[in-house]
Amino acid sequence: MRLFRSGIRKLVRRPATYVTFLLLAGLVLLILLAVTAAANQATEPESAVASKLFLTFPGAWALILTVVIGIGGLLAVTYGAAIAGSEWAWGTLKAAIARGESRWRYATAGFAAVVVVTWVGMLLCYAVGIIAAIVGANLTGTSLAGLGDTSQLAEMPGLMARAGLALAMEASIGFAIATIARSQLAGIGVGIGVYFAEGIASVFVPGIIRWFPFAAANAMLSGTSGARVAGGGGGAALASSTGRLDTDVAIVVVLAWLVGAMLVAALWTERAEISG
Amino acid sequence: MVESAGAALVIQGLAKRYGQRVALDGLDLRVPTGVVYGFLGPNGAGKTTTMRILTGLIHPDAGAVEMLGRPFGRRDRHRLFEVGALIESPSFYPFLNGRENLRALAAAGAPVPKTRVDEVLTLVNLRDRAGDKVSGYSLGMKQRLGIASALLSEPKLLLLDEPANGLDPAGIVGMRDTLKALAAEGRTVLVSSHILSEVEQLADVVGIIARGKLVREGPIDSLLHEEGAVRVRVSPDEVPVAGPALEALAGASNVSIDATAPAGWLVVRFDPSRAGELNRALAAAGVYASRIEGGTTLESLFLEVTGSTPDVGRTGVAGMGVPS
Repeated sequence: MRLFRSGIRKLVRRPATYVTFLLLAGLVLLILLAVTAAANQATEPESAVASKLFLTFPGAWALILTVVIGIGGLLAVTYGAAIAGSEWAWGTLKAAIARGESRWRYATAGFAAVVVVTWVGMLLCYAVGIIAAIVGANLTGTSLAGLGDTSQLAEMPGLMARAGLALAMEASIGFAIATIARSQLAGIGVGIGVYFAEGIASVFVPGIIRWFPFAAANAMLSGTSGARVAGGGGGAALASSTGRLDTDVAIVVVLAWLVGAMLVAALWTERAEISG
Repeated sequence: MVESAGAALVIQGLAKRYGQRVALDGLDLRVPTGVVYGFLGPNGAGKTTTMRILTGLIHPDAGAVEMLGRPFGRRDRHRLFEVGALIESPSFYPFLNGRENLRALAAAGAPVPKTRVDEVLTLVNLRDRAGDKVSGYSLGMKQRLGIASALLSEPKLLLLDEPANGLDPAGIVGMRDTLKALAAEGRTVLVSSHILSEVEQLADVVGIIARGKLVREGPIDSLLHEEGAVRVRVSPDEVPVAGPALEALAGASNVSIDATAPAGWLVVRFDPSRAGELNRALAAAGVYASRIEGGTTLESLFLEVTGSTPDVGRTGVAGMGVPS
């Protein structure tokens, strides 16, 4: 618990945390600003309705979360990689081990802190997105009658839990890659590469890629909300395909990737010869 | 099982390879309790590898380590709760300040009372700057913070790799006093350093390693005494006379021509405090020495036992006697 609390304190003071959060919040705001402007300028009713999808509740509740998770997924990979890689690059992991700390406990507690901070960031960005959508709806004269839709609101806790699980898994992928690479930059680079490679590969081999982490995460979210906006990874190509995993299967696959990535990170840390 | 009575740290037959390269080749060490132990060796001799093994960062291929009276192996990380270490360069989070870094470190390993952080910051004279971000610290300040972090858990055994690195003269004196005071309290300090004059002032016992093996170990005073040598310079054409005169006093096997110095230098293994007797013997033989250099320094002992030679700025007689 000491390690976890310390991990949270470190992340709260870390510039990478704020940069990641501001980047995500900024992008969400930018998207909603563009949507609002498009809705205002639309001359044809059909395009105006399409633009207003993000501003129309209750559907906007799920759509905005999908946007946050879509962009946030990539940022979660880089954030997890940055935190894990810096422990090796700065030698702070070495200092902790030399004090007799358990290697796997240190890695796991560090990752748990990353997950909690990522969740908080997701909630804050989601709140920013919802507020921006409400403002956008007012500006475009879109009705807010569906804002309190009980059936949609009842669905939200489950959707949020899945979103949180998706982000945790994506962060774990970056965390594991950076642990193996022992470097922030390598971890971030490889993490981003894997993210986009999965997206590209999903065009050619969707049947295989749907089992991959980012595609599974998107399937888990899209299946529940009915939304068809996938953020990246394999989800981009699979969003409209029938090859996407069922929601329940996707949850199991995402959990498997999360546990697998953390096992790899913990085992790698446990077995590593730290000589640099 | 290693014999560890009275020793804070005992290493027996420690071996470690990195691929084809042998880093440690059956290293033995015995660090008595309550001393400052100078751990010396040329670059690549295996000092840092040893330090890494002692802090659990890497694992040996063979050999045994006994730390504070108990075996220390792969599954004995709790033994490090009583050990403080500064390995290579100090490692900190650049975005946290000094105090926050120590608190973060205190969250790992042995529990540390909250007040201890400020105690060690005061001890290394860093309390005034403890609120500044570490990214703005000088090398010396980082080093002080590194020493503070090693002292966090009030360790019984302190392992310090080049602790004087980057410290200003006042910092070096302060560090020396602190380490001596810790040894006086019964704690054991193992210091790896290249600054031999510093080790000579600081250490009670030294261990010198070369090519992964121990080549000399013992109390520093007795080592320097046993290894005592006197260098004598005479006119080159008087060497045939001076040699036998010195051999008659010191023994035939204890006199040699210093092949690394210009002609006329002789090395006599002899108690440096009795150098006057050598001078008298030479005078009796009708030879007058132009220079007599008495005593072995840790530096000359180090160079001799490790087989090292000075490689930059050699000045012949003034250096270790390598002709320029």
